[in-house]
Amino acid sequence: MIIKLERVKLQTRKSEEAIDITAKVDEIVKKTGVKNGLVNVLTSHTSSGLLVTEGIPCLEEDILTHFSRLFPEDEDYHHRRYLDYDGRLGFNADAHLKSVIGGISCTLPIENGKIVRGSRQTIYFMEYDGPLERTYLVQVLGE
Amino acid sequence: MIDFHTHPVLIREFVDKYPNYERMARRVFDIGNNFQPLETFFLQMDVAGIERAVLLPIDCRRARKDAVSSNEQVAELCRLSKRFIGFASVDPLKKGAPRELESAVKKLGLKGLKLDPALQDFRVNHRKVFPVYEAAAGLGIPLLVHTGMSWAPETPLERGHPLHLEEPIRQFPKLNFVLAHFGWPWVWEATALALKYPNVYLDTSCLYYDSPKEFFQFVFSKQIPTTLIERSLRNKIVFGSNYPRVEIKNMVQALKTLALTEGCLNKILRENAERLLGLGPEK
Repeated sequence: MIIKLERVKLQTRKSEEAIDITAKVDEIVKKTGVKNGLVNVLTSHTSSGLLVTEGIPCLEEDILTHFSRLFPEDEDYHHRRYLDYDGRLGFNADAHLKSVIGGISCTLPIENGKIVRGSRQTIYFMEYDGPLERTYLVQVLGE
Repeated sequence: MIDFHTHPVLIREFVDKYPNYERMARRVFDIGNNFQPLETFFLQMDVAGIERAVLLPIDCRRARKDAVSSNEQVAELCRLSKRFIGFASVDPLKKGAPRELESAVKKLGLKGLKLDPALQDFRVNHRKVFPVYEAAAGLGIPLLVHTGMSWAPETPLERGHPLHLEEPIRQFPKLNFVLAHFGWPWVWEATALALKYPNVYLDTSCLYYDSPKEFFQFVFSKQIPTTLIERSLRNKIVFGSNYPRVEIKNMVQALKTLALTEGCLNKILRENAERLLGLGPEK
């Protein structure tokens, strides 16, 4: 049984964006040498997300637009208060809620050394509160 | 646009280079966010539409063991990018502080002075501090001084009362005093000083509860009327975010929600800062 964990840093460049990380995850899986097993990908932040959907710009835009419709920046959030453990105010509740509803991880099978995914399925790192340098985790388990 | 109030306390490249940098951020400046590459600072400016940012150190070594960024670190960042405008900080109770300030301006190329009576543990109206004001006036640089509430732990609230500055403001009419954080919660006192004295300015970096938009809407339309800014203080306010305690974009957006004319916003976001700093538009 092989279990390998890689931490990948990603510099986001906008307040919100969907970044295709499929090729990077494929590359990491290949590097581990695991032939059959699972790959789990997750963001290590609570104001970003990780999701799988069809990899086309119109959908990227729709996801971000409609998450913002669900959780508008100017809504009445309890999070808007001084967070003494952070030394600053929390006013990014909308980003946290988008992360909750969009998810923070995905798990996909590995077969014959390759990730098994539908022809349209693309793995996205979702930035909801950028620009920031972010970290996502790729853990590969198998034989 | 110019951000007159930022602190370079979360620069990833400095964590390995300067042994006390991490302790300073966590224990002295008291901020819990992740360290970020310098590139993030520029990207945060970009998404906010900010072209240049004033970097502020705080020499609180006597009171807190470590400085919140040193003059040398600020100068180092300014050498990396013309988008940064570096200020100096000195301990005003330290012997030789005026000479240290002169050196920071003439040798390191720093463009202003930053003082924080709460973090640096001094009284702004103490006579021992006056030689530093005199030196700053002689050097022709502005002073950005913390006023209002300080989040930093173990700092007395009272030290930030803007009226403590009245005597220095009167004694040094050639020194431009920029009162940070609009003096909140003593907004009227800070406003009165800016109305009365030609050498008093205010920065917008106030945010103590709610969101930037909610806070600005309250302070700049209910606590004081927006018309006071538009009609009487349009030449006396500079935009400051207090990044990284708050993202710059949120503060720019909040300012733009106020019922201010484009001309007034231009003055707050650019022209007043350029005048104070003796800068021309970036080419």
